[in-house]
This record gives sequence, structure tokens and C-alpha cells, in this order.
Amino acid sequence: MGNDSYRVTRRIFGVGVFGAGVVASSLAGIAPARAQGTPKRGGTLVATWGGGEPQACYVPAGGGSSPTFSSSKLFERLGNRTMEGKFQGELAESWKPSADFKSYTIKIRKGVKFHDGKDMTVDDVVYSISEIWKKYAAASALTDFAGVAAPDAETVVMTFNTPIPEFFFSSLLCGNVNYIVPKHVYAGSDPVTNPANNAPIGTGPWKFKEWVRGSHFEYVKHDAYWRKDMPYMDRLIIRYVRDPAGRAAAMEAGDIHIGVFNPVAPPDIKRLTGTGKFVATPKGYEESVWSTTLECNMRNPIFAKREVRQAMFHAVDRSFIAKTVYYGYARPGTSPIYSPNKEFFTADTYKTGFDPKKAAALLDAAGFPKKADGKRFAVNLLAAGWFTENGKIGAYVKQALEDVGIAVNLSVPDRPTSIKRIYTDYDFDMAISNQANPSEPVPSTTQYFTTDGIKKGVPFRNANGYSNPEVDALVAKIKVETDPAKRKELVFQFEKIITVEAPLLPLVELESITVASTKVQNHSNDPNYLAATWYDIWLAS
Amino acid sequence: MAGELASSTASPRITRGSSRRVAALRLLRRRLIQAVPLMLGVVVINFVLIQLAPGSFLELMTAENQVSDPATIALLRKTYGLDDPVWLQLLKYIWALMRFDFGFSYRQNIPVIDAISVHLPATLLLMISSITLALAVGIAAGVVASMKVRTVWDTLVSVVAMFFFAAPGFWLGIMLIVLFSVKLGWLPVGGMATIGGASSGFAAVLDILHHLLLPTLALGLFYAAVYTRVMRSSMLEVAQLDFVRTARAKGLSRNRVTISHVLRNALLPVVTILGVQMGTVLAGSVVIESVFSWPGVGSLLFDSVSSRNYPVVLGIMVLGSLMVIAANIAVDLVYMWLDPRIEIR
Repeated sequence: MGNDSYRVTRRIFGVGVFGAGVVASSLAGIAPARAQGTPKRGGTLVATWGGGEPQACYVPAGGGSSPTFSSSKLFERLGNRTMEGKFQGELAESWKPSADFKSYTIKIRKGVKFHDGKDMTVDDVVYSISEIWKKYAAASALTDFAGVAAPDAETVVMTFNTPIPEFFFSSLLCGNVNYIVPKHVYAGSDPVTNPANNAPIGTGPWKFKEWVRGSHFEYVKHDAYWRKDMPYMDRLIIRYVRDPAGRAAAMEAGDIHIGVFNPVAPPDIKRLTGTGKFVATPKGYEESVWSTTLECNMRNPIFAKREVRQAMFHAVDRSFIAKTVYYGYARPGTSPIYSPNKEFFTADTYKTGFDPKKAAALLDAAGFPKKADGKRFAVNLLAAGWFTENGKIGAYVKQALEDVGIAVNLSVPDRPTSIKRIYTDYDFDMAISNQANPSEPVPSTTQYFTTDGIKKGVPFRNANGYSNPEVDALVAKIKVETDPAKRKELVFQFEKIITVEAPLLPLVELESITVASTKVQNHSNDPNYLAATWYDIWLAS
Repeated sequence: MAGELASSTASPRITRGSSRRVAALRLLRRRLIQAVPLMLGVVVINFVLIQLAPGSFLELMTAENQVSDPATIALLRKTYGLDDPVWLQLLKYIWALMRFDFGFSYRQNIPVIDAISVHLPATLLLMISSITLALAVGIAAGVVASMKVRTVWDTLVSVVAMFFFAAPGFWLGIMLIVLFSVKLGWLPVGGMATIGGASSGFAAVLDILHHLLLPTLALGLFYAAVYTRVMRSSMLEVAQLDFVRTARAKGLSRNRVTISHVLRNALLPVVTILGVQMGTVLAGSVVIESVFSWPGVGSLLFDSVSSRNYPVVLGIMVLGSLMVIAANIAVDLVYMWLDPRIEIR
């Protein structure tokens, strides 16, 4: 089955800055699934994703991709981002900063109703921001939040202790689970344990009907949805199939129409698209780019020397990982800001490309020559077991490091153990982990490198202990710089420093894939499609 | 228990008439008394094993909720009783169990018994249907093979049994899906019922049976293969015994001898294995439920282990053990019914 059989297009968000490499060539020349003809109304769409059932339909703090997927069809955010990268209002009609950028005025959309028939008001917005965002959904981003108030029935004003860049604020309004929740349902309760989390009431195009645990969610059309005559379809089913082969079979049998976030194994992508009944596309993940990272624990004196850290990356062939482990659905990573990020990615950074000789020379220069047994030193490499690919990469990295004289003890613990060992116990010398980063680098990306990102027991932060006053000061400037051009330049500086320092760098940027029946129209049209509302999706006859 | 039963058959005490009922009740009482320390052992061992596993549900929960505030974490530890020493947590758990309180699943925000009871019927249905299939096919195939010993039928049965014995459940499940769901389109790929289909009445029953067929085959055919092999050898062994020869000498037909005399006695080893395998059928359902998206306890157990949702894991272990104990008691009673000469000690 050759590449000709693909019916997909790869139109990477922010393309052109960094070569798409292997993936681009394997998916080139393929048309996207786009709306064809007049949308058909009615019917049921069955969707799945490449993971398991959530712990709750809605988790105020996010809770991972699964509850984000299930809740994002029921709730809505104030803002949204288009595939072209523009911010647009969703439950907000508009927003604008004050002259000093310390407050933002948000005009709230009128005529929006919750699923229980009650009107959405500014009180719901104020409650959501102060009680849900600040405490759970966006706590790490709202460190300089001063307050929120509603001066009139259509306006909400958010104030901050420091100037807040417009891009940061707009990104905040579009945050994955920065929803507007009904105050009348959540006020006076613990939002984390509120029973409504398992049968949410939102403003979204889909209304919760049923959760058959272990099987599926059933949502029905929200008849009072504010977007006129939307959604097109009557029902949306989110079905959970644990096994990727089972998902592929269910799609092939016509039981599932669309699967997001790598629903099937790479060989099945080729098989399914080869039938002509399915399309596969990497579109729809531009605002949530995943990577597989390698980090060095600075608490180990060996890694205190920058040359040693650089050598670790020079010893590893990232292209090999992309081709072999990810079947080409990945590309080598070069910077802490990923290549699809058209605002902040720069290719002008220090390159830690595959060069074993350079790695050996750096290790020699750092004072770690090969001993009589051919080894320089030994490290414990932990590959986080939440993705099976991490274990395979771990096996390869072990070989690659042994080739330059480093003895490696590899372990691949399961998810809870990995989280504990990496983020609570710091029990690793090197770790293979994963990140999913949006375009706005603060704090999602920067917290892996700043001193204030070192928070014992909090995962997906700075676990390697890297602390550099220069980086801290730079990130502090990025946080408050309101001139877009100057801010971009500061982020470029950040990237240059981090690539030279190399405490943590991406090995590969992952190519997330959506697989859909050719009948499914208007899909993959949001840069964070897993978390989009899917209000305009429809099924052709 | 079944093992003890097998050894006791070496010195059977002959019982007859109404004394059989008394013996059965005595057995039931004895088994129930024995079940108490057994359950206690199950609870203690599982509790300790779970405590030994690295990572906790609290760590995972705070991770997923990005909670970093030490005061909040301390409050959560206190709320969930994790501040208590392990032995006190165990005692509290046992005390709660004695009041049929299986604890609370903080991850799902519902009582453990509710979390399990949502999934339990699906697993019981799958287990019962698989065991029924395994017994029916295994006994029938074993009888045929023994009656046609050293013929092409015997060889065919043996080869097919060996195939299903060797085939991993998950592989067999996927192959069944590919053949019957994807290629032929006869049966659904997974799930327990058609989403949005009939929720009650005969149509709903038919719909569930339609969904049940493939997982039942995937889980049951392995055990059918086991029973086939055991039944065949047991039939051949019993057929050599004196009382069978006597029955033949009395002029009874071959079928009458086989069914009334050989089959009934040959069933004893199958019944013994059935009791022993109840636990493995439950374990096997974890894999099969995953392949077929069957909304049973297996899926819940898998998720709960992955998320260190200890209360649910323990609850499933306790209920699973209770099921196995109950099944073994039933097997002992069936054993007595099959062979009236035996009183199990």
C-alpha cells in the first residue's frame, strides 16, 4: 500500500518554519476532509479517541485529554482560535486591554442559554473565572490575577497585578477547559466533587443525555444553542474502545465515524485510508502539539556540566526515533517551542543533532573519558510508561548512550509509578516523558525550565531541577512584555539559551492523527480539535 | 476446596436417602465457616499488596488536578484517611466490610459498590454464557471424541481443541471481530447493546445476545478446549471400569451405557476443574472485555489499577473472591449430587 493510497492532506499550522521531514513526505499531496455541498441535518455521529474513558465527564482542573474530550462538547469557552491563528469570540463577543494592559474588558455574548434553560449571565462568567479558573483550570497561568468584576449586565473586567500581554490573555480565554460553568449549579459546592461533573450542564451545542459507564456518552442536540440552526446533527455519541485494534475494526465496520488523537495504530491508518472510505489528517492539533522529551536530572552532579547534557542529545538519532518508533508520524524536535508554533518558534537555535563523535568529544572534555571497561559512567534512565512508544524509545536511547560509553539502567514503570518517580521522588538520572504545549509559552512551556516550576509532586513541571537566574529573569520579562515583536524576540532568546543548556529538550514532535469516515464533514477545522465543540460537524449521505 | 474434594473421593462415606440433604447442609455450613478466614486472608493480602505498589491514587489525583499546595494535599490525605498507619487503615477497611461498606471511590466520586454494581451484571453475563458454552461444547466434543476414539473424528476434535487451547484470547477475539463483524458484517464489533436501541423487552434481550456472542466465543472456547480434553480422557477411563462392563453385559444399548453410566461419572473431573477455573474465567474476562469494549468489571479493574484507585481494586478483589468461594461451594454440592456415594469431608 503506497503513499498514493492516502487521501489526507498535511497542512501543518505554521508550516515552513521547520521542515516537516519524513511525515510531510509520507502524507504529501493529499486533500483535506472539507465540507462538501449543503450540510445534511439530523443523524447520529459516533466518535472515539485514542484513549480510555474519563474519571468524570468534566474535571474542573482538566484531568487529562479524556475528560477534556468529553466535556468540551457540552461547555464553551469565552474565546476560540481559528485554523488561521486568529482569536475569535465564543461566549465573549469581544475583549480589549486597558492602556496599561493590567485589565481586560470582556463583552459577553447575549442570548446564550444553559442546557437547563437558564440564561448565561455575567455572574456565571465572574464565578467561573474566580472559582474555577483561578483555583483549578488555569491556576498556573493566573498567578498575577487580581480580580474579576461585572460592572454591567454585558461586561466583565479582569484585572491583574502586572501588565498582561494580549496574546497571553487571548490564549487564556481559549484554554482547554477554561469553560463558563453555571453558577447556579456549582456555587456553594465543591466543584471537584459536584455530581454535575458526571452529567454536566453547559452552554455547548450538545446536551448531556446519558453516560453508560464502560461504554459511551450520549449527547443530544441543544435546541436553544446560540449559534442559529446549529448543530447540524441530532446526536453525538462518544464511544470508548480500549484496544486500538478494536477501534480500527469498529471504524471499518461503520460503528464509529471519527476517531481523534491517534485512534488506531499507524499500520491501520494506512490500511483504513487505503480502502478509500477513510481519511487521516494531522490537522487539528496545532494548538496542542505533543512531544517526547528527554531530560537530565540536575541533582546528579554528572549533569551539572552543560557539555554532558549536550552530549546526551548528540548521541541520540532523533530521525531514527521518528521513522522507527512512530512510523514517520513524528519529526525531530529542536527547540522547547515546537515547530508548528508560528508565533514563537525559531530555527535559529543551538542544534544538538545526531553526532556520536561530538558526543564522545564533549564527554571527554567534561572529564568523563572511557575507563578500562569502556564505560564513562552509569545512569538510570526512566521511560514513562504511559505511552508504549516511550519504552521503545528508552530501549533505543539505552543502546545509543551505550555506544558512546555510558552504561544505562532502563526502567519503564507504569503511569502512577512514573509520575511518582519523576515528579515527586525525582528518582531518575534521565527521563523520557511527554508534553503537550499550546502556542502561548507561558507558563505551559516555560515552567519546565524556571525555578518556580520546581514543585515537588506536581507533574509536568520542572522535574530536572534546572535553575538559571538568566532564564528566570527572561521568563519574567516574557510574562509582562506587551509589545508583540519584543515579546517574540524574548522568546527566541529563551529558546537559544535552553537549546544550549539542554536540561530538557524534545526528542521528537509528535504528529497526532485524526481518522474519519469520508462521510464526516467539517472536521479537523479547529487547531485544538479534540477540545473543540464540534458544533458544525455533519455526516454526508 | 475442590482440591480437598478430589482427595476426599479416595475414602468416600456412603450416604443415602434423606441423609444426603443433611450431609449437604453440613457441607454448606462447614464451607461458609471456612470462607471467613479465607476472605480475611484475601482482604489482608490484597490490601498489603496494593500498599506495596508505588504511586498512590492521591498522587495521581493531585497530578491530574495540578494541585501543588501542601495544605490542600494534607487536607486530602486526611480526608481519604491516608494519614492513618497502614494497619489502622486495614482494620478500618475490614470493619467497614463487615457492615457491607466497600468504601468510596474518590476518583469517580461514587461509592465503590455503586461503581462495581454498574459493571458487575455485564461481567456475570459474560462469565455465565462463556462457562455454559465451554461446558456444552467441551462435554459434547469430549463424548464424541471418546466414542469415536482413534478415528478421524477423534483426531479432528483433538486438533480443534488444541487450537483453541493454544490461541490467546485477545488474538482470537480480534480474529472473530475481523471475520464476523468487519468482513461478514453479521455481528457487532463491540459493546453490550446497540446505542440508542431498544432498552427493554424482547428486542433488548435479542440485542444483548447479539452483542454477547463474539465475546462469549472468545472467552469460552479456551475453556471448551480444556473440558474437551478432560472429558475425553475421563470418559475413556470410566468406560474401562467394572460397572460399565456389567451394564454392557446386562444388554443395555451403547448410548444408554454412555449417557447413564459413563457420562455421569466422567463429569466429576470436569466439575472439579470448573470450580478451580472460576477465578481464571473472571481474570480472562479482563482481556476479553477490553477487546470487545464489554462494559464489565474487567474494564473497571484495569482502569482502577492504572489509576491506583485502591478502594475499587479491593472491592473487586473481595467480590471476585466471594464469587469464587460461592462457585466452589456450588461445585461441591454438584459433586455430591453427581456421585451419591460421596460425602465431602
